[in-house]
Order: sequence, then structure tokens, then C-alpha cells
Amino acid sequence: MKRRRFLRHTGAGLLGLSLGAVPGVGIVRAVGANTPDAVWVENGEPARLLESAIEAYGGMGHFISDGDVVVIKPNIAWDRAPEFASTTNPELIKALVKVCREAGAKKVKVFDRTCNNPRRCYRSSRIEEVAKSAGADVDQVRDYLFTDISLVNGEELTEWPIYRDYLEADKVINVPIAKVHSMSTVTVGLKNLMGVMGGNRGSIHNRFTAKLIDIDQEILPTLTIVDAYRVLMHNGPVGGDLADVKTARTLIMSDCTVTADALSLRLFDYKVDQVGHIKEAYRRGLNKYTLDGVNLKTVSLS
Amino acid sequence: MRNTRRIAQVLFLLFFILLFLKARYPYSDALPSDIMLRFSPLVPVFDFIANLRISLLFWPALLILLLTPFLGRFFCGWICPLGTTLDSVSHLVNSPDNRKSIDAQKWRSLKFILLAGFIVLAIFSVPVWGHFDPLSLFNRALTVVLYPVFTLFSESTLEALARVRFMEEPVFAVFDFFKTWIMPEDQAQMQQVFWIALLFGGILALEKVTRRFWCRNLCPAGALLGFLSQFRFYERLVADSCPQCGKCTRECKMNAISEDDATFTNKVECIECFNCGIACPPKIDAITYRWRWKPYRSSIDYSRRQFLGSTVGGLGVIGLASIGLDNKKAKARVIRPPGSLPENEFLDQCIRCMECVRICQSNGRCLQASGVTENLEDVWTPIGDMRTGYCEFNCNLCGEVCPTEAILPLALERKKQTAMGLAYFDKDLCIPYAKNEDCIVCEEHCPTPDKAIKFDEKEYIAPDGSRRMVKYPYVDEDLCIGCGICENKCPLKGEAGIYITNEKEDRLTKEELAKAPSPDSKQKSRESALPY
Repeated sequence: MKRRRFLRHTGAGLLGLSLGAVPGVGIVRAVGANTPDAVWVENGEPARLLESAIEAYGGMGHFISDGDVVVIKPNIAWDRAPEFASTTNPELIKALVKVCREAGAKKVKVFDRTCNNPRRCYRSSRIEEVAKSAGADVDQVRDYLFTDISLVNGEELTEWPIYRDYLEADKVINVPIAKVHSMSTVTVGLKNLMGVMGGNRGSIHNRFTAKLIDIDQEILPTLTIVDAYRVLMHNGPVGGDLADVKTARTLIMSDCTVTADALSLRLFDYKVDQVGHIKEAYRRGLNKYTLDGVNLKTVSLS
Repeated sequence: MRNTRRIAQVLFLLFFILLFLKARYPYSDALPSDIMLRFSPLVPVFDFIANLRISLLFWPALLILLLTPFLGRFFCGWICPLGTTLDSVSHLVNSPDNRKSIDAQKWRSLKFILLAGFIVLAIFSVPVWGHFDPLSLFNRALTVVLYPVFTLFSESTLEALARVRFMEEPVFAVFDFFKTWIMPEDQAQMQQVFWIALLFGGILALEKVTRRFWCRNLCPAGALLGFLSQFRFYERLVADSCPQCGKCTRECKMNAISEDDATFTNKVECIECFNCGIACPPKIDAITYRWRWKPYRSSIDYSRRQFLGSTVGGLGVIGLASIGLDNKKAKARVIRPPGSLPENEFLDQCIRCMECVRICQSNGRCLQASGVTENLEDVWTPIGDMRTGYCEFNCNLCGEVCPTEAILPLALERKKQTAMGLAYFDKDLCIPYAKNEDCIVCEEHCPTPDKAIKFDEKEYIAPDGSRRMVKYPYVDEDLCIGCGICENKCPLKGEAGIYITNEKEDRLTKEELAKAPSPDSKQKSRESALPY
């Protein structure tokens, strides 16, 4: 229950601050003078991209302490091979599990509530195989382990079931893959959190922006890593045609999901104003950094 | 011999269950899951009636048919998993011996009447024998009744144990072992469970009347094998020292030893269990078994009058089945697995074994045992219920495990382009049309590489004058393959805002499929190697 309480307090705190502040104005500054707000790394293989992004933060110790239980939440929603860019890159997940273990994590859990048959998704995405080999616990979501959390700041929803392991983890790393999405324009970090939500998720799609942010603001992760090694440019979120996949060889990392999402829009040439749910996240003050005031570190490997 | 027979029975039963458990994702056809279903001696006979051919696909059954004139009904006594189950049940319920159940011994000819009736029906292309094929029946009971009930109890027990905090880790370890090896999928919900349980449970319950009631009196496969065993060369010989004590007569599983003369075996009924040799008191030990080249004949209990009766009965059923209901609405919702033969051939070929339904449970879970949609022929054929499940885009396993090729095995690339039907919007229900609000869950899930569900974005002016952009979905008929994930995932309660009919379904015969041009491959093989 540790994390859940923490989230509640943070949520309440954020609301309190955002009520006082003009929406969209930054609230919290990261401690440590040289720490960036976000990192953009390009031109590398998945493991190298990750390594380089973590270097910018001075090592994974910045996020993970000894003995932590860490949840890594990739996108494993579809029964598709990694090449189709419908699911998070398995090489990246493998490297991330290793880094977390090396930083002292007691346990690393990897899971997602899938859209296609879970066994097929876990296998086709190759995430189960590589994450297990790197020392993570990869279990399928167990239906009876969702607990209702109350959404005190909800505008549309008052409560929603969230996966227990997610709520109880000490640290959470959200690892979406950047894709276009017919309904939400893009799917990155904020949308990827739907994978820890129980219940009839289809019903979230009706008045989507408000409902998604209602839930998201209670469950924001410690760290968001956007996998943009391959980016799905059309027919999202399922894809299925290699011609729709752009190999961008990029990775975006931030301790602020909203900032990571906003930055990732550059991959698609979108602006925040065009993406309802990200805009809504700024309106409600879920961002740690202002849109224009992000201390972004850019690295180009070669 | 009795112990050898018992070991063989247990091994064949375990083998059948192993194959059953193996029929799941991920599937390897190194050992085909359907192989034991092709042991059923009825399959090649009815395949011959429907297609005038002898298919080597059914080699195990052909082998059994070939050996039966020499060995008799060894299939019933040694191999059939339903027979083995009945033997165990008979021990449990303590079946009465043949003398105590003397009144129940006059139904023998029923099985011949049934078999003759099924043959008459099959000649007129009304295939309903599969419902009573012993192997189909057993596999169906496993798929629809026994396995789901097993899942229910074992899962809920484990869940309850896992709620005790310190038990959680070890219980989950067991749980995951179960999920991987024994219970590969979530709780199955089968619409026909009650009726299939009733038939199977009834057959088991009849053991209380007399041993192997089903095999003695009802089983059409037993009737066929009995018919072939009339001159069986392997005989039971009784020495002159036999005092006619009647022990073997009373104990015989099949009541195949005559009350008046214990030296005579009814070869049509005997299933070679070798219990008589054990029943014979050791001091006397009058029974031996050996080959004889001039065997005596036992005739079948089936009179000309009964033959006429079953023919007329069969014709009556043909009449009923042919009139049926001309229910256009129900007909359009009969969605067959991808690769199914054209409907008439499909119904001839399908043995109602539910193997496809079984493997579908570890994938998209759309296949169900059908009830009566039009008439008897539909009962317990596989039907896609897209509100309950959907057809998994990257799955072609139902065709892989079909024992009779009623569902042709399709290469994955072809399966992805084989339409099971076509999606239609019900605009009275669909959220964007009914409420002028966004939803698009169907479009999101649509798996074809170029989505078959597309949308128009139009401005909506509400009664209060406010304006908003709404995405209104529609179906591209050329791209839709009727997989039904749209209907399955529609967030509405009850009826979905989009549904599948079998319009535009692709149904090819094996010959047509062989001639069809290879599908254009938009997708590369999913088995490509690392790095990603």
C-alpha cells in the first residue's frame, strides 16, 4: 500500500499546487543542478540509447534505491512481432531490466494487460522471453488482483480498478512505444498507463481525454522511457504493415510523463494543441515542467 | 492378459488426455493433437459414404478396421478412452452383474438400428452420426464439460489460497505451472455445456444399470466393429472340464457368454477383455485363447424387420432435418472457422469432436458448440460467437487440429486474408451514431494491416448549439475479414454496435484451395531473427 498512499498524496499535492498556479506553469524542479528535466537520445541501438540516457542522469541510482520493487510497464498489447512497432522494443526492455537489477532492485516485474490473447502477445512481442532471461518476473495479469482506487480529482470518473502490483511497487517505469492512434492521435506514456487499468477499458474511449487523465493523475510513474527506436506512423495502434514503420532510432526519457509525451510529438510533427489528452494533462497541471521551460539534454550517438 | 489390457487402456486414455492438453497455443504439430480422433472406426466409413473415397488421412482407423475381422472388438476393450472411462465408473458405482441385470440385456440390437439409421441418413447427406461417435463424444465432453469444470474448481481453490499473504508466492508458482502446462487459458464459458453434460453424464449413469451399457447397446462404432467380428479368428476355447458354473457368464463385461452354454462366445459382442479367463476358478482353469483357421460364426442381433424399421426411422429424420426452419436471420449468423469447406461438405465432414473449439479457447475464444440454428445437423458444430470471443488474426490453429479437414489447414498468410464474414454497424446502438460522441474502439482493434474499419470526422451541432468534431466509423468491405474483434471489444453492454454476418465468407473446397493463387504477402514472416 506504500505506493498507493504516496500516489494519493502526490495527486492531492499536485492538485493543490495547480489550483494556486496558472495551469501549465512548472511546479517542481528536480534536485541537483546538472540533472536534466528530460533526455533525447538518437542514432543508436536500443541498449545503447538507454545507457546513454541514464548516463545523463548520473546513473540509475538517481531513480532506484537498493531493495526496491520495480515495475516496468511496456506496451505488450498486441499479438505482433517487434518489427511491426506495435509493442515496446524487447532489446530495450532487456537492457532496462538489467540496469534496474544492477541498481539494486530487489525484484523487477514486467506485465501488461493486453488487448489480444495475453499468451500470444507476451510471446510474439518477445518481451516475456528476454525480460525473463534478464532476471525479471514476467507474469500475466491476474484478473482478481485489481483494486478500485478512488479518483478524488476525477471529473468524469470517481473510481477505477488498478493492478495491485503496480500500486504496491516502490518504483514504476513506464516504457511506451511511440505510435499514432486513431482515437487519441498518438499513444505514448499517458495512454500506455491503460495497461494497468482493469474494468471495461473500452468505455474509457467515450469522453476519452477527461476519463484517461482522471485515472492517470492518480497513478503517474517514477520514470517514463519512450521507445522510439521504431515508430508506427500509420494504422495505429495495431499496425501490421512494415511500410507504416519508421526507424527513428530514438529514445526519450523523463521523470515527467507529460513532458516525455509532449517531446515525443516531434516524431510525428504534432503540437500539444493537436493531442487532446496531452493538452488536458497540461491543463490539469500533471506536468512537472512547463512546455517551453524544459531543460532538455540532447545526445546524438553515431 | 488382463493386466496387459488394463495397462494398454490406461496408456491410451492418458495419451488421449495428453493430446487434448497439447491442443493449445503455442502449438507444435510434431505430434498432431487430432491423431487419436482419427482412430475412430466410423470416420473412414462415413467419409467413404460422403465422398466415395478411402482417405489415408484416417490410417489409424483403417488399420483398426483391417485388424478387426481377425482380432474382434479389441478397439472397444483396449483402446477406446470412453470405454476405459466407463470401466472406471462401473467400479465406482458397483455395476450389477449380468444375472442381476437380466432385464437390461435385451437392447443389444439398438446399436445396429442406430448405425443403420445413421448410414441411411448419411447417404441422404444428413450427417448426424458424429454426435454419437465414441471418440468425438469423449473429446466433446472433455472440451465443453470436464475441462472447464476442472478449471473452475482448481482455479478458485488456488485463488482462495493465494489470498493468504504468506501463501501467495508458492501458490502462484503452482498456478503458473498449471497455466503453462495444464490450464493454458481462462475459464471457458460454453453455451451447450448443459446438453453435452446431460448426454455424457447419462452414458456414465447407465453403468448403474449394467456394465458397459453404452458399448453393449448404443455405440454405433461398437456396432460396426461387431459386424466385422462375426468370424473372428482369435477365439476363446473352453475345455471339457468346464462344469458350467456360470461365473464367466455373470462377470462378462459385454454379456457375450451364453447363459445356456458357457463354451460359446458371442464374437459380435466380445471386446477381448480377458476377464473370463480370470473369472474361471483356478482349480478348473478351463479357458484358453488361441487362433483357429476355421472359426465359428456369431450372427448379429439384428432382424430384417429392425433393418426396415431403422431405414424408415432414418427417412423420417431426413424429412424433419430437411424441412428445418428457414430462418434467414439465424442462417446469416452461422459463422464458420476460417478454412471451413463449403457448408454442405463441411457438415458432411465435421465429426462434432470440438477439437477446434478446444484450441480456440487458448486463442481468440470465438468458437463455440452450436445449438440448433436451423436443424439437427447444426448441433455441436463449431460456430463463431463474436460477442463472446473473436478470431485471433495471427492464429490458424483450428485448421491445424481438425481431424477430418472439415476445416482445411491454411497457411497463416492465407488465413489472414480468408474472410469468415463481414462486419455491419448497427447505427441505433453504435456510440458515435447514437450519441454523437467519439468511441472508435472497433477501429483501434481492427487487425488488418490496412484497417477495414475507417472513419469520417464530421462536425456535430448539439441541440444547445455547441459544436464538436466526432469520428463516425464505417466498414471497408474489401478489407474486412469478419474476424469479429470489433464486435467482441465494443464497449456497449449487451448487443454490440457492430456485428458480423457470414456475408462474403470465403469457403473453398480442398481442390479449389490448391488452385487458388498464393496470397500477396504484405507482412513479413513473424519469425525473423534478432536483433529487433
